[in-house]
Amino acid sequence: MEEGNAKPTRVLYKANLSYDRLVKYLDELISKGLLQEVHASDSRYYVITQQGVKFLEEVRKAEAFLSGFGLSL
Amino acid sequence: MVDQLFLVNSLLQLASGIVALSVSFTAFRYMKLVENDILRFLSFGFMLLGIGLIFGASLMLLLSFNVGKIAEDIELVYVATVSYLVLQALAYFSFAVGYARGAYGNVRKEMASTLFIATSMALPRLPRNYLLLGTHINAALQLLILILLAFVIFQGALIYSRSKGMFSLLVLSGFSLIFVAHAIMLASSLFPSALLFTFGAVVQFGGFLSLLVFLLNSGRVHAASKNT
Repeated sequence: MEEGNAKPTRVLYKANLSYDRLVKYLDELISKGLLQEVHASDSRYYVITQQGVKFLEEVRKAEAFLSGFGLSL
Repeated sequence: MVDQLFLVNSLLQLASGIVALSVSFTAFRYMKLVENDILRFLSFGFMLLGIGLIFGASLMLLLSFNVGKIAEDIELVYVATVSYLVLQALAYFSFAVGYARGAYGNVRKEMASTLFIATSMALPRLPRNYLLLGTHINAALQLLILILLAFVIFQGALIYSRSKGMFSLLVLSGFSLIFVAHAIMLASSLFPSALLFTFGAVVQFGGFLSLLVFLLNSGRVHAASKNT
Protein backbone atom coordinates (compact mmCIF):
# COMPACT_ATOMS: atom_id res chain seq x y z
CA MET A 1 0.00 0.00 0.00
CA GLU A 2 3.02 2.27 0.34
CA GLU A 3 3.15 2.16 -3.48
CA GLY A 4 -0.07 4.20 -3.58
CA ASN A 5 -3.17 2.08 -3.49
CA ALA A 6 -4.23 -1.54 -3.27
CA LYS A 7 -7.32 -3.70 -3.50
CA PRO A 8 -8.38 -5.75 -0.45
CA THR A 9 -7.37 -9.07 -2.03
CA ARG A 10 -3.86 -7.88 -2.74
CA VAL A 11 -3.46 -6.64 0.83
CA LEU A 12 -4.85 -9.97 2.11
CA TYR A 13 -2.21 -12.02 0.26
CA LYS A 14 0.72 -9.68 0.93
CA ALA A 15 -0.06 -9.37 4.65
CA ASN A 16 -0.80 -13.12 4.94
CA LEU A 17 -3.77 -12.55 7.23
CA SER A 18 -7.17 -14.13 7.60
CA TYR A 19 -10.04 -12.10 6.15
CA ASP A 20 -11.57 -11.28 9.56
CA ARG A 21 -8.28 -10.05 10.95
CA LEU A 22 -7.58 -8.03 7.83
CA VAL A 23 -10.96 -6.27 8.08
CA LYS A 24 -10.32 -5.53 11.75
CA TYR A 25 -6.87 -4.02 11.07
CA LEU A 26 -8.04 -2.05 8.03
CA ASP A 27 -10.90 -0.56 10.03
CA GLU A 28 -8.46 0.46 12.75
CA LEU A 29 -6.05 2.04 10.26
CA ILE A 30 -8.91 3.93 8.63
CA SER A 31 -10.23 5.15 12.01
CA LYS A 32 -6.74 6.44 12.85
CA GLY A 33 -6.51 8.31 9.56
CA LEU A 34 -3.63 6.25 8.17
CA LEU A 35 -5.65 4.70 5.34
CA GLN A 36 -8.52 5.86 3.18
CA GLU A 37 -11.15 3.64 1.60
CA VAL A 38 -12.04 4.64 -1.94
CA HIS A 39 -15.06 3.34 -3.85
CA ALA A 40 -14.76 3.43 -7.64
CA SER A 41 -17.40 2.11 -10.06
CA ASP A 42 -17.77 -1.54 -8.98
CA SER A 43 -14.66 -1.93 -6.86
CA ARG A 44 -13.05 -0.52 -3.81
CA TYR A 45 -9.48 -0.02 -2.83
CA TYR A 46 -7.36 1.43 -0.08
CA VAL A 47 -5.11 4.44 -0.32
CA ILE A 48 -2.44 5.43 2.17
CA THR A 49 -2.91 8.93 3.53
CA GLN A 50 -0.20 11.55 4.15
CA GLN A 51 -0.47 10.73 7.84
CA GLY A 52 -0.02 7.06 6.95
CA VAL A 53 3.12 7.82 4.92
CA LYS A 54 4.56 9.80 7.85
CA PHE A 55 3.75 6.97 10.25
CA LEU A 56 5.40 4.45 7.94
CA GLU A 57 8.51 6.65 7.77
CA GLU A 58 8.65 6.80 11.56
CA VAL A 59 8.33 3.01 11.74
CA ARG A 60 11.18 2.56 9.21
CA LYS A 61 13.36 5.00 11.19
CA ALA A 62 12.57 3.10 14.39
CA GLU A 63 13.50 -0.17 12.63
CA ALA A 64 16.82 1.34 11.53
CA PHE A 65 17.57 2.66 15.03
CA LEU A 66 16.65 -0.66 16.67
CA SER A 67 18.82 -2.63 14.24
CA GLY A 68 21.87 -0.74 15.52
CA PHE A 69 21.33 -2.39 18.91
CA GLY A 70 20.36 -5.80 17.56
CA LEU A 71 16.67 -5.27 18.16
CA SER A 72 13.70 -5.55 15.84
CA LEU A 73 10.05 -4.54 15.81
CA MET B 1 48.83 24.95 29.08
CA VAL B 2 46.86 22.82 31.61
CA ASP B 3 44.04 25.40 31.64
CA GLN B 4 43.82 25.21 27.85
CA LEU B 5 43.73 21.40 28.01
CA PHE B 6 40.89 21.58 30.56
CA LEU B 7 39.01 23.86 28.15
CA VAL B 8 39.54 21.47 25.22
CA ASN B 9 38.46 18.49 27.38
CA SER B 10 35.35 20.31 28.55
CA LEU B 11 34.30 21.16 24.96
CA LEU B 12 34.86 17.57 23.81
CA GLN B 13 32.91 16.18 26.77
CA LEU B 14 30.12 18.71 26.26
CA ALA B 15 29.76 17.68 22.60
CA SER B 16 29.84 13.98 23.60
CA GLY B 17 27.20 14.61 26.27
CA ILE B 18 24.88 16.30 23.77
CA VAL B 19 25.19 13.29 21.42
CA ALA B 20 24.45 10.90 24.30
CA LEU B 21 21.34 12.87 25.27
CA SER B 22 20.20 12.92 21.61
CA VAL B 23 20.49 9.11 21.45
CA SER B 24 18.58 8.88 24.75
CA PHE B 25 15.80 11.11 23.42
CA THR B 26 15.56 9.12 20.18
CA ALA B 27 15.39 5.82 22.08
CA PHE B 28 12.69 7.31 24.34
CA ARG B 29 10.68 8.47 21.31
CA TYR B 30 10.80 5.04 19.67
CA MET B 31 10.01 3.37 23.00
CA LYS B 32 6.62 5.07 22.84
CA LEU B 33 6.14 3.90 19.26
CA VAL B 34 7.26 0.26 19.46
CA GLU B 35 6.88 -0.55 23.21
CA ASN B 36 10.24 -2.28 23.52
CA ASP B 37 11.54 -2.84 27.05
CA ILE B 38 15.19 -2.87 26.06
CA LEU B 39 14.91 0.64 24.67
CA ARG B 40 14.12 1.68 28.23
CA PHE B 41 17.58 0.54 29.35
CA LEU B 42 19.24 2.23 26.38
CA SER B 43 17.35 5.49 26.86
CA PHE B 44 18.07 5.52 30.60
CA GLY B 45 21.73 4.59 30.11
CA PHE B 46 22.37 7.25 27.47
CA MET B 47 20.58 9.80 29.64
CA LEU B 48 22.90 9.02 32.59
CA LEU B 49 25.89 9.11 30.24
CA GLY B 50 24.84 12.45 28.77
CA ILE B 51 24.21 14.01 32.17
CA GLY B 52 27.53 12.62 33.48
CA LEU B 53 29.48 13.99 30.51
CA ILE B 54 27.87 17.42 30.70
CA PHE B 55 28.49 17.44 34.46
CA GLY B 56 32.13 16.47 33.82
CA ALA B 57 32.44 19.15 31.14
CA SER B 58 31.07 21.79 33.54
CA LEU B 59 33.56 20.70 36.20
CA MET B 60 36.47 21.01 33.75
CA LEU B 61 35.25 24.41 32.62
CA LEU B 62 35.18 25.61 36.22
CA LEU B 63 38.66 24.16 36.76
CA SER B 64 40.06 25.79 33.63
CA PHE B 65 38.93 29.23 34.77
CA ASN B 66 39.40 28.38 38.48
CA VAL B 67 35.91 29.80 39.16
CA GLY B 68 35.36 30.23 42.89
CA LYS B 69 38.89 28.89 43.38
CA ILE B 70 37.46 25.42 42.82
CA ALA B 71 40.86 24.06 41.78
CA GLU B 72 42.09 24.74 45.31
CA ASP B 73 39.30 22.71 46.94
CA ILE B 74 40.73 19.22 46.41
CA GLU B 75 37.90 17.51 48.30
CA LEU B 76 35.23 19.14 46.14
CA VAL B 77 37.06 18.25 42.93
CA TYR B 78 37.54 14.67 44.17
CA VAL B 79 33.84 14.21 45.06
CA ALA B 80 32.72 15.77 41.76
CA THR B 81 35.08 13.53 39.76
CA VAL B 82 33.93 10.39 41.57
CA SER B 83 30.25 11.35 41.07
CA TYR B 84 30.89 11.83 37.36
CA LEU B 85 32.55 8.40 37.09
CA VAL B 86 29.79 6.70 39.11
CA LEU B 87 27.19 8.12 36.69
CA GLN B 88 29.18 6.73 33.76
CA ALA B 89 29.49 3.31 35.44
CA LEU B 90 25.73 3.22 36.05
CA ALA B 91 25.11 4.16 32.41
CA TYR B 92 27.31 1.33 31.08
CA PHE B 93 25.72 -1.10 33.54
CA SER B 94 22.33 -0.14 32.09
CA PHE B 95 23.66 -0.82 28.56
CA ALA B 96 25.12 -4.14 29.66
CA VAL B 97 21.75 -5.30 30.99
CA GLY B 98 19.89 -4.00 27.93
CA TYR B 99 22.37 -5.55 25.50
CA ALA B 100 22.32 -8.90 27.29
CA ARG B 101 18.56 -9.05 26.98
CA GLY B 102 18.74 -7.98 23.34
CA ALA B 103 21.50 -10.43 22.39
CA TYR B 104 20.02 -13.43 24.20
CA GLY B 105 16.55 -12.80 22.79
CA ASN B 106 13.91 -15.00 24.39
CA VAL B 107 16.06 -16.11 27.29
CA ARG B 108 14.06 -15.62 30.46
CA LYS B 109 14.80 -12.49 32.45
CA GLU B 110 15.98 -14.46 35.44
CA MET B 111 18.42 -16.53 33.37
CA ALA B 112 19.91 -13.45 31.72
CA SER B 113 20.36 -11.71 35.08
CA THR B 114 21.87 -14.83 36.67
CA LEU B 115 24.28 -15.20 33.76
CA PHE B 116 25.35 -11.59 34.09
CA ILE B 117 25.85 -11.78 37.84
CA ALA B 118 27.70 -15.12 37.58
CA THR B 119 30.02 -13.65 34.94
CA SER B 120 30.71 -10.60 37.10
CA MET B 121 31.49 -12.77 40.12
CA ALA B 122 33.84 -14.93 38.09
CA LEU B 123 36.00 -11.89 37.29
CA PRO B 124 39.21 -11.67 39.36
CA ARG B 125 38.50 -9.90 42.61
CA LEU B 126 40.35 -6.62 42.88
CA PRO B 127 42.22 -6.14 46.14
CA ARG B 128 39.81 -4.50 48.58
CA ASN B 129 42.36 -1.97 49.75
CA TYR B 130 42.99 -0.90 46.13
CA LEU B 131 39.32 -0.12 45.60
CA LEU B 132 38.81 1.64 48.92
CA LEU B 133 41.92 3.81 48.95
CA GLY B 134 40.65 7.28 48.14
CA THR B 135 43.52 8.15 45.86
CA HIS B 136 42.82 5.08 43.70
CA ILE B 137 39.03 5.41 43.49
CA ASN B 138 39.38 7.20 40.16
CA ALA B 139 41.37 4.31 38.67
CA ALA B 140 39.06 1.75 40.29
CA LEU B 141 35.96 3.31 38.74
CA GLN B 142 37.66 3.54 35.33
CA LEU B 143 38.49 -0.17 35.64
CA LEU B 144 34.87 -1.00 36.48
CA ILE B 145 33.73 1.05 33.45
CA LEU B 146 36.20 -0.88 31.26
CA ILE B 147 34.83 -4.22 32.47
CA LEU B 148 31.23 -3.13 31.76
CA LEU B 149 32.19 -1.75 28.36
CA ALA B 150 34.00 -4.98 27.49
CA PHE B 151 30.71 -6.81 28.07
CA VAL B 152 28.79 -4.27 25.97
CA ILE B 153 31.34 -4.55 23.13
CA PHE B 154 31.22 -8.35 23.21
CA GLN B 155 27.42 -8.24 22.91
CA GLY B 156 27.71 -5.63 20.18
CA ALA B 157 30.11 -7.87 18.26
CA LEU B 158 27.67 -10.79 18.57
CA ILE B 159 24.88 -8.59 17.22
CA TYR B 160 27.02 -7.34 14.32
CA SER B 161 28.14 -10.87 13.44
CA ARG B 162 24.46 -11.82 13.19
CA SER B 163 23.19 -8.83 11.21
CA LYS B 164 26.29 -7.51 9.35
CA GLY B 165 24.41 -4.22 9.14
CA MET B 166 25.95 -0.74 8.86
CA PHE B 167 23.99 0.55 11.83
CA SER B 168 25.14 -2.16 14.24
CA LEU B 169 28.72 -1.62 13.01
CA LEU B 170 28.51 2.12 13.76
CA VAL B 171 27.21 1.41 17.28
CA LEU B 172 29.93 -1.24 17.84
CA SER B 173 32.62 1.19 16.59
CA GLY B 174 31.28 3.88 18.90
CA PHE B 175 31.42 1.72 22.01
CA SER B 176 34.84 0.32 21.00
CA LEU B 177 36.33 3.82 20.73
CA ILE B 178 34.76 4.77 24.08
CA PHE B 179 36.39 1.64 25.57
CA VAL B 180 39.80 2.66 24.20
CA ALA B 181 39.24 6.20 25.52
CA HIS B 182 38.56 4.93 29.04
CA ALA B 183 41.69 2.74 28.86
CA ILE B 184 43.71 5.86 27.98
CA MET B 185 42.03 7.81 30.78
CA LEU B 186 42.86 5.00 33.22
CA ALA B 187 46.49 5.22 32.09
CA SER B 188 46.39 9.00 32.59
CA SER B 189 45.24 8.57 36.19
CA LEU B 190 47.90 5.92 36.93
CA PHE B 191 50.66 7.94 35.22
CA PRO B 192 49.32 11.49 35.69
CA SER B 193 49.35 13.29 32.38
CA ALA B 194 46.96 16.01 31.27
CA LEU B 195 47.97 15.45 27.63
CA LEU B 196 47.18 11.74 27.86
CA PHE B 197 43.78 12.53 29.40
CA THR B 198 43.07 14.98 26.58
CA PHE B 199 44.00 12.31 24.04
CA GLY B 200 41.51 10.02 25.79
CA ALA B 201 38.84 12.72 25.55
CA VAL B 202 39.53 13.06 21.81
CA VAL B 203 39.17 9.29 21.29
CA GLN B 204 35.97 9.31 23.40
CA PHE B 205 34.60 12.09 21.21
CA GLY B 206 35.44 9.92 18.19
CA GLY B 207 33.25 7.20 19.69
CA PHE B 208 30.34 9.60 20.14
CA LEU B 209 30.91 10.88 16.62
CA SER B 210 30.31 7.33 15.38
CA LEU B 211 27.07 7.23 17.40
CA LEU B 212 26.08 10.61 15.91
CA VAL B 213 26.64 9.27 12.37
CA PHE B 214 24.46 6.27 13.30
CA LEU B 215 21.74 8.57 14.68
CA LEU B 216 21.74 10.82 11.60
CA ASN B 217 21.76 7.94 9.09
CA SER B 218 19.05 5.93 10.86
CA GLY B 219 16.95 9.11 10.91
CA ARG B 220 17.29 9.50 7.15
CA VAL B 221 15.61 6.18 6.31
CA HIS B 222 12.51 6.86 4.21
CA ALA B 223 9.19 5.05 4.01
CA ALA B 224 10.03 3.61 0.58
CA SER B 225 13.36 2.09 1.59
CA LYS B 226 14.43 -0.72 3.92
CA ASN B 227 17.11 -0.17 6.56
CA THR B 228 20.49 -1.92 6.22
